[in-house]
Amino acid sequence: MANLSLRALTKAYAQTEVLHGINLDVEDGEFIVFVGPSGCGKSTTLRMIAGLEEVTSGEVVIGDRVVNHLEPKERDIAMVFQNYAIYPHMSVKKNIAFGLRSSKMSKQDKETRIDEVAGILDMTHLLDRKPAQLSGGQRQRVAIGRAMVRDPAVFLFDEPLSNLDAQLRTQMRLEIKKLHQRVGNTIIFVTHDQVEAMTMADRIVIMKDGHIQQVGTPSEVYHSPANAFVAQFIGAPSMNMLPGRLNGAGVRLESGLQVVTTHVSATNQDVLLGVRPDDLTLDQSGQMLVTGQVTVREPLGAETLIYVATESGEVIAKADGRSPPDVGTHVRLSADPANVHLFDADNGAALA
Amino acid sequence: MRLYSNLSIKQKQIVWAWAFLALPVLFYGIIRFYPTGTAFVISFQEWNLLGDRTWIGWDNYVELWNDPVFWKVFVNTFEYLLIGTPLSLVLSFIIAYHLDKLRFMHGFLRMLYFLPFMTSAVAMAWVWRWFYQDVPIGLFNNLLASVGIPQIAFLNSTTNALPAVLAPAVWAGLGFQVIIFMAGLRAIPQSYYEAAKIDGVGWWTVLTQITIPLLRPTIVFIVVFSSIGFLRIFDHVFNMTTNNPGGPLNSTKPLVLMIYDTAFNGFNMGYAAAQTVVLFLILLLVSLAQLWLLRSD
Repeated sequence: MANLSLRALTKAYAQTEVLHGINLDVEDGEFIVFVGPSGCGKSTTLRMIAGLEEVTSGEVVIGDRVVNHLEPKERDIAMVFQNYAIYPHMSVKKNIAFGLRSSKMSKQDKETRIDEVAGILDMTHLLDRKPAQLSGGQRQRVAIGRAMVRDPAVFLFDEPLSNLDAQLRTQMRLEIKKLHQRVGNTIIFVTHDQVEAMTMADRIVIMKDGHIQQVGTPSEVYHSPANAFVAQFIGAPSMNMLPGRLNGAGVRLESGLQVVTTHVSATNQDVLLGVRPDDLTLDQSGQMLVTGQVTVREPLGAETLIYVATESGEVIAKADGRSPPDVGTHVRLSADPANVHLFDADNGAALA
Repeated sequence: MRLYSNLSIKQKQIVWAWAFLALPVLFYGIIRFYPTGTAFVISFQEWNLLGDRTWIGWDNYVELWNDPVFWKVFVNTFEYLLIGTPLSLVLSFIIAYHLDKLRFMHGFLRMLYFLPFMTSAVAMAWVWRWFYQDVPIGLFNNLLASVGIPQIAFLNSTTNALPAVLAPAVWAGLGFQVIIFMAGLRAIPQSYYEAAKIDGVGWWTVLTQITIPLLRPTIVFIVVFSSIGFLRIFDHVFNMTTNNPGGPLNSTKPLVLMIYDTAFNGFNMGYAAAQTVVLFLILLLVSLAQLWLLRSD
């Protein structure tokens, strides 16, 4: 049984529809990440699940109840905000206890529950402090603690890591993942950072312009993107797209180069040939795709990214970290045909 | 020039800061602090503005202590403070709290509340004075009469006069306080309220546990600012009781009016200066007490 379902969910502000019918089933205990560029509707969807935004049409189902008209407190959810929303004038303990204020638990049970949560989050020694005395990561934990005390059916996270510096973000990412493995509640996590999505999610929901583009495991969305948008959004650096035309024997690129692909179904169709920088190398064992001049090198240590100016525009490829080609060198880049993706040039849909 | 270029960056900044500050410092010194210091000295002297100043020690203060009018005025001043400050604080908060939630005609209403603050106190006092007249002139008494309630002696009664004078003073300051409160309310992040909504706490808890504690700096500012205003109340009283300033029977007379009276009608400068020193001490103590009471922990 699905723990959370969205059915044909739409949202409109006055005449402008910003969400166009979202359908999603989330299993109990799943870690779902909504990811997409700003304005794609991911936060709006989350706020509709929370009950902070009215549903225009469609249904939000939590457990087996349609919660469209229930107050946030009646939905059995808890939420962690981007700016944490922890109260500066209350101690850590009072902040966490605030989550239990409306609960009918006895005072003793509340105390026990707060201690338990503080224990799990490793902040028993911080309970008497004020938020101003805490570091960014600790404040984040307080916000999570306040959500956890209520033991909700669904946890909602609204870009909770974007206020942290890069190092702390990586650390909190790991902590939240471990926490999920330990407590096992369903989590809906919103982010614009595809790395967070890839590293944390059981399943990723990629959104754009109020539509779901693809729902799948990190591996699925990376290896078999449903369309050109997903292909370019997931993975860093972004997938290279080379315009070409299917001609029965494969794809004929703009440069005139004929590329044999494993999936050749149609002919005379304009396509985009997608290849990830990771799969595009100087190694000549694959099939030659493009040639061009190296314009920029980005050494990353183990490998070096090279930007190559080709007839089809600039492409990014991966080179060895120790002996990358110099800027200005003419290079030939090739890829394994199995790692090449084809997309419809008109609507971006993946061609099987 | 050589001297200047040898200074460190920090020292150069100080030189420039003083160059700009010199004029205001001079101005404040001559126009503000010198007379203030002189007032302290005069409070120990007898002086009629024209004759010689004679040193009389604490006599002015002793006279003040034994003056029944001073004690009446002292009580009046604190009545203005103790009724005016809490009343205007609560009223302005209630107005700001609700105005903040309102979208429709928001700007227009805000302008209406702010208008009295921009109006001349003299003009306002005279309009209110007309409101308070007996039938058939006064607006309030006409309204009361039309529903069959006997008329009230607003400004002619020793018990009603002080609140009647205070009302326009509160009303005049309200607009400013509403604006300050609204700015304070706007500064509270929306997510605090959303988090409270998800935690399912009621509006009263939100108000008392979140909104008011987070408004503390705003409240401190308004309390101190309006207290000083009410302790120095003068123009409303003077203009609403011109035929008998501070009357009837000194029932509306605040300290500032007494000082004015003593100095420019009685020409008893030493005695007026002693009253000024007392007012200064009251203002100082009240402000310090409020800052201490409302200090953040």
